[in-house]
Amino acid sequence: MIEFKDVIKEYPNGFRAVDDLNLTVRDGEICVLIGPSGCGKTTALRMVNRLIDVTRGEILIDGQPNDEFEPEVLRRQIGYAIQQIGLLPHMTIRDNVAIVPRLLDWDEERIRQRVDLLLDMVGIDPSIHGDKYPRQLSGGQQQRVGVARALGADPPIMLMDEPFGAVDPITRAILQEEFLQIQQEVSKTIIFVTHDIDEAIYMGDRIALLRAGRLVQYDTPDDLLAMPRDDFVREFVGADRSLKRLHLISVKDSMMNNVPCCDHDASLEEVAACLQRRQSDSAFVVDASSGVLLGWVERADLAESRSLAEAMHHAPAGSIAVPEDATAREALSVLLSHSFDLTPVIDAEGVLTGGVSIQRLQDLVEAPGIHAAAQPERRR
Amino acid sequence: MLDERRTAIHNSNLIAFLGGSFASFGFFFLPVIEIKPNRLASGLPVSLLEIPGDMRYLLLFLLALTPVLLAFVGDRNRRGWALVAVGNLIVVLTLYLPALAGSAYLSGAEALFEAGTRISNPRILTSAGIATGLAGGAITLFAGLLDLERSGASRLARGLAGAVGALVVIVMLAGGRLDVYSIMVEYHARGEALALRFLEHIVFVLVALAAGLIVGIALGLWASRDARAEDAILYAVGIIQTVPSLALFGILLVPLARLGDAHFLSLARDWLLLAGLALAAALVLRRFHARLPERTRQFSLVTVIFLALIPLALLAVLIIAFGFEVVLTILTMAELALLRSLTGLAIFVFPIFMSAGKRYDLERKLPHYQRLRFLPLLAAALGGLTLLAQGAGELLGTNELAELTIRDFGVSGIGTAPAIIALTLYSLLPLVRNTYAGLKNIDPAIIDSGKGMGFTAAQSFFRIELPLAFPVIMAGVRNAAISLVGIAAVASIIGAGALGDFILLGVNSTSIDQILLGAVPAVLLAVILDAALKVLEGLLTSPGIRQA
Repeated sequence: MIEFKDVIKEYPNGFRAVDDLNLTVRDGEICVLIGPSGCGKTTALRMVNRLIDVTRGEILIDGQPNDEFEPEVLRRQIGYAIQQIGLLPHMTIRDNVAIVPRLLDWDEERIRQRVDLLLDMVGIDPSIHGDKYPRQLSGGQQQRVGVARALGADPPIMLMDEPFGAVDPITRAILQEEFLQIQQEVSKTIIFVTHDIDEAIYMGDRIALLRAGRLVQYDTPDDLLAMPRDDFVREFVGADRSLKRLHLISVKDSMMNNVPCCDHDASLEEVAACLQRRQSDSAFVVDASSGVLLGWVERADLAESRSLAEAMHHAPAGSIAVPEDATAREALSVLLSHSFDLTPVIDAEGVLTGGVSIQRLQDLVEAPGIHAAAQPERRR
Repeated sequence: MLDERRTAIHNSNLIAFLGGSFASFGFFFLPVIEIKPNRLASGLPVSLLEIPGDMRYLLLFLLALTPVLLAFVGDRNRRGWALVAVGNLIVVLTLYLPALAGSAYLSGAEALFEAGTRISNPRILTSAGIATGLAGGAITLFAGLLDLERSGASRLARGLAGAVGALVVIVMLAGGRLDVYSIMVEYHARGEALALRFLEHIVFVLVALAAGLIVGIALGLWASRDARAEDAILYAVGIIQTVPSLALFGILLVPLARLGDAHFLSLARDWLLLAGLALAAALVLRRFHARLPERTRQFSLVTVIFLALIPLALLAVLIIAFGFEVVLTILTMAELALLRSLTGLAIFVFPIFMSAGKRYDLERKLPHYQRLRFLPLLAAALGGLTLLAQGAGELLGTNELAELTIRDFGVSGIGTAPAIIALTLYSLLPLVRNTYAGLKNIDPAIIDSGKGMGFTAAQSFFRIELPLAFPVIMAGVRNAAISLVGIAAVASIIGAGALGDFILLGVNSTSIDQILLGAVPAVLLAVILDAALKVLEGLLTSPGIRQA
């Protein structure tokens, strides 16, 4: 646990980079510090491992003030990854990852095992890349090594200053997803600085929005989007905050299970009765035995047809439906591109399991924080 | 048509063209040797084509012309081998053929000069034609090696091919084939003195380089860390470089002469006093500096630094000057020969032993390797200390302690002390500048990440900054080493010895042979030192930052 208590950083010229910051980062959580440039987020991060000294107030690590440690001793217990990566160019990839364990005087055999484990974990094959030098790797690979190095001595706490900032958007997205998977395993207490609100929403368990050294709002991503405290926050998270929220919600949590549907071998009368009963203009058609989604049928087509097979619209499930593990935002996208009032949801076998309606999505976006419990779900 | 001509020129080897024309031009227009009836009278210049007798002199001239034609051969690989062969041959024959002719001239010397010319110890001087022949041959050789490199010949093959001529020349020298030249006569007469002066020269350069390295890296580090000191330091070392070496020797003469007169015991007392004062001041400042106003604090800091600099500089001068004398004594004392070679061996073996441990995993295979690996170091240290004690004893042993003056330690207005101090000062510019540049150019993110991972300031300097700045610093070291070889020759003026002795003597008696006797080893020393430092740089630079 990391606690900022009334922390102030004031420079000799009177400028306050961090102004009266109070913040608690819980064990195993990723706390994202975000804000416009110059808001003090990097300063706050660098005060944790004493790369910058606190002017007033204190920072507690597991209840112990961080100025009770020697700075070097403290830093060796805290993982550190930065945007420029800062791999030491004269050391091999293995030696780079082994830096902190060596500083801590681990024995070489243990270091070798640890380094290989970490490189595997971040997706770098140690037998291929281990003895290369940083300049022989791509930017994305270097960022991975940077993360492995920060995990080097298995520190309980990690400080990450835009650790995926130096790569292209596609690589960044991959790195973010992979890092969340790693975090599932290692469960570190992380302070993560970024200026990218999408990254903050995707990576953060909690987001601390700073402005001019002051904490403006500290909330879960969902609550930050649902209930921005003031205009500054509203503007910062962007006009599309509702869409962003939908990104946080999985289809599984937003779908209705009871959707109008009928078996493919049903008679036209049965279908008409079903539509009548559901007060709906259309229904989905599923395979009678397996439940796999086959297509849909509309009330207007019933009159001119002799059988359901003739009346129904066939469609491969993938083109009209979304899988259960998609986000609500993807469901909305499908809703907008077809003229249904309901997007069908299918499981891995193609079986119809439910549907998402526009009404349902609106309710979700308006209701604050109802799915907080669902959050870990998106970290598949 | 024009394009074709352009490609032809592009593919031709113009360096070979230059080398061939250079050599043949010299052979045609310049004398290769000069026959002097005695030491003083002016000589009789003889050009290659004037030498009577068989065809081989003409053939050498024609050989020198061939690179001019070879330059336009299209096949790069064949051309390269041909040029290397011709270049080597020109070098060897340029030295050998005129020597043959010279012997013939000497045996019939009387007939060459007018009656009445005093003929005593007639001699054959090497002349300009030999210099241009050697240069032309070397250029041709170099041009050939370039061709071979581009056509993909192996490094080993190129190295061997390039060295053939030099090896033959060495064999000829050792076999006495070139003894007819007066420079060789001079060498045989003064070989022993030459060896000693050469040794002195090397020790001068290395000692000054080592001292300069310590001071230079410290100053470079300071300049790179402290924005206020940066300009002052860089200006200061720049200004030192502009002081003519002769003037610097003169400036150092007076204070060092006075220092040399001082008695050892009284100086030691004064030194302790000064050092104690500086230490006390430093301690007091450390205790109170937080409470002092900013200005006073800076002023007192500078005062303490200067207070400390005086005893430190004194000690450094004494250690370096005395160290030089001791080293020279050790190297020249015959009874220390065995211990000398054993210690040298231990020093040589130590790094090999250390690196072998990692490469061949000796740590597991050899029990007690962790302790064993320091054995050569221990042996080297023991041997070195014994040697130092022996040398120091030889220098000081006969004197009473009370009568010992600083001069006995090798410090006086002339000689070693001012020479080494001046050389050290001259080495500072490239060392400080390159250290500064090397450290300044390191990406701050690398240092920040090191700090963030828990490197201490010292660990960061030795494990990150120094290795990263190393290639740049080494460039400065090579630069300094070469210029020191040159400046060390001037130190002879203040009686410091070294190769400058021969050069000065030669200039005073207009004896070119004497000058060459001093100059050729100096040039060789510079070339070898540069190559050795380059190899060292290559070995010690991490592959991760080596220039591709």
